[in-house]
Amino acid sequence: MIEKNFEGVSVRWVIALKGEAEELIKNYAMKRVETMPFPVYKNKDLDMWLILSGIGQLNAVAATSYLYVKSDASYNTIWINFGIVGSRNFKVGDLIQIDKITSSDFKDNYYPSPSAFKNNNIERCNLITVNKPEKLFENDGAYDMEGYGFFSFAKKIAPYELVSVLKIISDAPGTDLSKIDKHRVERLVSKKIQFIEKVLENLLDLQKILSLQLRDPKYFDEICLQKKFTFSQKVTLRKYLTQWQARFPLRNPLEEIGKRMTASQILKKFSDNLLR
Amino acid sequence: MVDTIYAEDEIIGTKKAQEIISKFRHAKVTSIKRFGEVFNPSNQNFRIQKKNPALILAKKQKGFVLDAPKGFGIGDQNNYYFSHMYNCLYDCSYCFLQGMYNSANYLVFVNYHDYQNEIAKTIKKHKEEKITFFTGYDCDSLAMEPITNFINDFVPFFSRYKKALFEIRTKSINNTVFRKHDPLANCIVAYSLMPESLAQILDKKAPSVSARIKNMKYLANKGWRIGLRFDPLIYCSNWKAQYAELFANIFKEIKEENIHSVSFGPLRFPKSFFNKLLQYYPTSEELSFLRSNDKGIISYDQSIENEMNEYCRLELMKYSDARKFFSCG
Repeated sequence: MIEKNFEGVSVRWVIALKGEAEELIKNYAMKRVETMPFPVYKNKDLDMWLILSGIGQLNAVAATSYLYVKSDASYNTIWINFGIVGSRNFKVGDLIQIDKITSSDFKDNYYPSPSAFKNNNIERCNLITVNKPEKLFENDGAYDMEGYGFFSFAKKIAPYELVSVLKIISDAPGTDLSKIDKHRVERLVSKKIQFIEKVLENLLDLQKILSLQLRDPKYFDEICLQKKFTFSQKVTLRKYLTQWQARFPLRNPLEEIGKRMTASQILKKFSDNLLR
Repeated sequence: MVDTIYAEDEIIGTKKAQEIISKFRHAKVTSIKRFGEVFNPSNQNFRIQKKNPALILAKKQKGFVLDAPKGFGIGDQNNYYFSHMYNCLYDCSYCFLQGMYNSANYLVFVNYHDYQNEIAKTIKKHKEEKITFFTGYDCDSLAMEPITNFINDFVPFFSRYKKALFEIRTKSINNTVFRKHDPLANCIVAYSLMPESLAQILDKKAPSVSARIKNMKYLANKGWRIGLRFDPLIYCSNWKAQYAELFANIFKEIKEENIHSVSFGPLRFPKSFFNKLLQYYPTSEELSFLRSNDKGIISYDQSIENEMNEYCRLELMKYSDARKFFSCG
C-alpha cells in the first residue's frame, strides 16, 4: 500500500466507465468530488484522483486535460489509463501492460517507457486504439478506444516514465459484447487488484527518484523571500545553492548574506566562495 | 541485462540485428518505424532510464563520418569521428551523454558496411595525407563488444588502410577481441584515466583504474599501441598528489615505447548539459567547482584549467616524450 506520509505521491487515473473503475475507487478509498462535466473521485488523504472519461479518444483527451487542470497536477504526477480491452492472443482476465500504442487514425506510434515494467512480471502487449468496438481482431495485441488519445496528451504533461497504460482482457473474437456487464468487469478487475497495486508501487518508486531531482536546494525559498531575485538570478541562485550544499554541507549560506546586500551581490559572494 | 529491444522494421531481419537479438533470449522485441520514435521524445528522464536501459537497433541514414572538433587530434592533420552507437554501459557522473540525449537507451546502428564505405571514401579523399578516425565518444565501443562485435568488424577493415589511424577510446578491460586479432600498427587502444579515488566516485560501473592499467599492460605486451587519455582532468582538493600518483602507477607498469600518445583536456559542458547534470547529481562535490564562462560554456576557472594542464604536462614529462602530448580542448 501507499505510504500516507510520503508527500510526493501524486496519482491520476483516467478510466472510461464506472464498472472499470469501481474496484480501484474502493481499493484506494476515493470519494466522488464532482459529477459534471466528468465524474471525478479523490482520496481524502492522498493526492490521488480518478476521472471517468466516457468512451472514445476525444473523451479520453478531454478528461485527461480536465483532470490535469482541476486537480492542479504537478509535472511529477503518475498518469494511468486503465480499462478493459479485447484481444485474440490473450485470455479473458489477463492483466497486460502496454508497451506500444498505435492508432487506426494517426501515423505516430507511442512507446511507454520500459522503466515502468521492471520486475512486475505482468505480460506486455501492444495496444491498437480504434474508434468503434473491435470484432475482427485482425492483429495480435489488444484493442481499445481510449489509450492512444490518453497517451498523446499525458506524455506532454508528465515524464514519459510516469505515464502508463494498463488493461484487462474482457473479450476475444466471438464474445457477445452485450454480456460484458458492469458486474463481470468488476469481477475481472478485483481478481487483478494486487497486480495493479504492484504496478503503481513501481511507478511510485520512479516518482520518488524524480521528486529528488526536481526539488529546490535547501535555503532557496528563504533566500528568495529575503531579497528580490529576477527569474535568471533565481536560476543562478538555485545552481549555486546546489553546489554550496555539495561543497560546504555544514555551512549555512544564510549566514553569508549581509542585511544590505543586493541579489547580485549575494550571487557574487556565493560565486567567489565556490571558485576553489 | 537488457529486457526490452526496439528494432526498426527496415533492419530487424538483417544478419547483424538478428545476431544481436539472439544474445538476449528473454528480451521483449518490439518493432518500430524509426529509432527517433523511442529515442528522441522529450520528457524522458535519463537517470530513470539508466536503471533499466532498453536496446534500440536502427539503421544510420546519414552522417556516418563527422569532422572532429577543431583542435582535437593526436598528431594528424585530418581528424574524423564516427559513432555506431549512442550511450554507454558505464554510468560516469560527468558524462556529457546524459546532458546530450533525452534517452539512456542503448542505440546501435547495425549497418556497419555503410560506415566502412564512408570511411573508405574519406581516406581516398585525403590520399597521402595523415588521417585519424576516432570512435568511442558517444559510447564505449569495447565495453559493448560482446553484443555488437564492432571492433571485431573494424580492426580487419582498418588493416587495409595502413595510413589511417583508428583510435578506440575506452574504459573497458575486455580484451577478448584483441586476442583474436594480430596487433594493428594503425590502431590505438586509448584508455580514459583519472586518479583511482576519483574514479571510484565518478566512474560508476566502469572497471577500476588499476584494472585498466593492468589491461593496458597486457595489450601493450601483446603488441597493441596504447593511448593515455586524461580527459577530463578533474579538479579536487588534493588533485596534484592524486595525478602524480596516477602517472607514476601507469609508467611503473607500461613501457614508454608502447605509448602512442598522451592527451589531456579540461572538463567542459554546454550550459544546458550542465544544468541537467547538476539536477541528477546535486551532492557531487566535483561538479561544485564548475562555473559558466563568458562564452556560455561551463568549465573550471581559467586559472584552474591552466594550472592543471601545466602541472600534468610537467609531471608526465618525467616519464614520456612531450612530443607525444596532445590537448583535447
